Amino acid sequence: MEGTILRTENLCAFFGNNQILKNINIDIPEKKVTAFMGPSGCGKTTFLRCINRMHELTPDAHVTGKVRLHYQDVYQMDAMTLRRRVGMVFQRPNPFPTMSIKENVIAGFTLNRIKLKAKEKEEIIQDALSKVALWEEVKDKLDKKATSLSGGQQQRLCLARTVAMKPEVILLDEPTSALDPLSTAKIEDLLYELKGNYTIVIVTHNMQQAARISDVTAFFYLGELLEFDETKKVFTNPKNEKTQNYITGRFG
Amino acid sequence: MTNIEIAGIKRRKATDSIFRYIVYGLTFTCLAVVFIILFYIFEKGITCIDWNMFSKLPKPVGESGGGVLNAIVGSLMIVSVAALIAIPLGVAVGVYLAEKRGKLAADRVSIAIDVLQGVPSIVIGMVVYVWMVKPLGENGFSSLSGSIALAIMMLPPVVKNTEETLVLIPTTIKEAALGLGASEFRMTMKILLPTGIGGIFTGCMLGIARIAGEVAPLLFTAFGNPYLNFNILKPVSTLPHIIFNYGTSPYDDWQRIAWGSSVILVSLILILNFIVKFFESKWKVQF
Amino acid sequence: MEHLKSELDTLRWELSQMFSLVLSQVKKSQEVFIVNNVTLVKEISATEKLVNAKELQIDSRCETVLALFTPVAIDLRFVLSALKINVNLERIADIADGVARMVSHSKVQFDKELMEKVEAKKAFDMVLEMFSCLIESFEKEDTLLARDIFAKDAIVDSITTGSIDITEAYFKTGDSLSQAIPLISIMKMIERMGDHLKNIAEEIIFYSEARVLKHGGKSSEA
Repeated sequence: MEGTILRTENLCAFFGNNQILKNINIDIPEKKVTAFMGPSGCGKTTFLRCINRMHELTPDAHVTGKVRLHYQDVYQMDAMTLRRRVGMVFQRPNPFPTMSIKENVIAGFTLNRIKLKAKEKEEIIQDALSKVALWEEVKDKLDKKATSLSGGQQQRLCLARTVAMKPEVILLDEPTSALDPLSTAKIEDLLYELKGNYTIVIVTHNMQQAARISDVTAFFYLGELLEFDETKKVFTNPKNEKTQNYITGRFG
Repeated sequence: MTNIEIAGIKRRKATDSIFRYIVYGLTFTCLAVVFIILFYIFEKGITCIDWNMFSKLPKPVGESGGGVLNAIVGSLMIVSVAALIAIPLGVAVGVYLAEKRGKLAADRVSIAIDVLQGVPSIVIGMVVYVWMVKPLGENGFSSLSGSIALAIMMLPPVVKNTEETLVLIPTTIKEAALGLGASEFRMTMKILLPTGIGGIFTGCMLGIARIAGEVAPLLFTAFGNPYLNFNILKPVSTLPHIIFNYGTSPYDDWQRIAWGSSVILVSLILILNFIVKFFESKWKVQF
Repeated sequence: MEHLKSELDTLRWELSQMFSLVLSQVKKSQEVFIVNNVTLVKEISATEKLVNAKELQIDSRCETVLALFTPVAIDLRFVLSALKINVNLERIADIADGVARMVSHSKVQFDKELMEKVEAKKAFDMVLEMFSCLIESFEKEDTLLARDIFAKDAIVDSITTGSIDITEAYFKTGDSLSQAIPLISIMKMIERMGDHLKNIAEEIIFYSEARVLKHGGKSSEA
């Protein structure tokens, strides 16, 4: 499909003998927001973590099938290089507690032993923090510990940390489920703006969020991909009955 | 309320009070014991503390004015070398146990460390004697072999504290580092260890506090030395040595010196503990 | 909530366009009826297709906003009103088209005297006035202007009701019966345009003040 940046082919994921994902085939479009939704335990988070191979960190986890980033097989690549191209933001804000705000923003470079000149560092820090609408709030306290920020600010800092690496794809695993409504709204606005430059894939258990911010939505159920279409179509006239039941709250 | 309910409440309140008083009483007893010991030591030994203690070497029997400079230097030397050996090794094993928790090999290592913790110090001294001292004959006794014995004793607290500290670090922080493309090694060095530095430091300090007062293993290894010695390949004296030897002697002068050394040793350990408490709160990391 | 805001702004803009389109249709139909300018009939017919397309576009956008954003409070009231305003505007455009076609099919020339007696121009002008007033009310969210509509609609109603008797009386003394039916039909259509405009005014008041003025509970005070 044109404009596809990520494609999976018959992807199956297992924890030991437990099959979590069953033959997922999906084409994720470039520079758009794709939402994964579904009831608890449907495999959407597992699928997300298969994309940047974080799934491998769990003992007994393995995967069959292919995941392709721009036609390259992700499982043949070096995992660390992959994760620089495909960034991730997690459910609970997790800034590095021993580092200051500005150190957190360039943590990706530090951890990958990429040396930066002082001027480059400052530019990257200001650029990343501006992109996540945090620059004005923290520009006078860049040396303070990152944990001194509020939850919503910390999550935006984690987003800045990911964005600073200029990834091609940003994966977000329920990024606002631990935040208050105002912070959630701020982050949703941010994602809407960021999609001009990045491909965004977001897992959410909040269907209204999926409806609000995504261009295409995938509905997962018991490890299968039941529907994948333009968000407007999914929420006005879904093709699959189970999708309709989930959206209308009849189950899930 | 019915009579049964009133009676029930009265009984529960009474049990509550009794239990509380028992707990307070036992706590007080514990504290009282500690304070009595410390008080006794200081009372006996504080008069012996003078500049001579810190600057002079022990004098032969009969002469007054001796000091324990050799033992102080010896203690510092033997403990520092032991720490230099035990800390990197212990932290590395702690990292291994924290990362591979649940795996069979890691479980076995963990049991081994627990066993090591229970081995009597004198037995450890014996083992090091057989390994290092005996083969070298006359020249076997040395500060280095003493350090090795003490390092073996210091391992379990360092390993356990490191492991427990690292296990408490939320997985999400490790995942954040790996998600940015870091290798496991880089993640450990740059994120894991700095985040756990508080607990690791505590473990090291507790380990040092433990070995600073040991003498049993040193009897077979460091042996003791009345002269000032900076060479780790030669025998050396430590504060516990002095306390043991001089304390059991019949001479008043030497007993005085033994009490003085006790005061010095106990003070050092108390200071170490206070340092631990101070840095523990300072380096506490919020997740 | 930038995304929702921009969708609502687009909806408002599309409604404005619909208002303008339909107003131009009504103006043209007035010219066709009052001064018998039949050249405009084809224009009206062609523009009718645009109006229908616009109606579908607005409906679709309302559906999108409701499905994706689950709006609440004033946003919800706005979308619900937009749907009804849309329907009413489309009806008005239909009626304007109907007026034009009736004049063109009947090929009749209405007597000037009759037209003056039934106050046809006054009724149509009043409708146009209501329409302009309504557009301003919509743009500015001014509910006082919206309330003015009710009095004006009452005038239109009284003119059109009176027109039946007047026409009957005229044809007792005159001789052109062929004018009677089209004239009365058109007067009725003018009345219906006024009614639809009144519905729109009620919707504007609903979404601005959350007050329902339909079916009684009407207030025409300023």
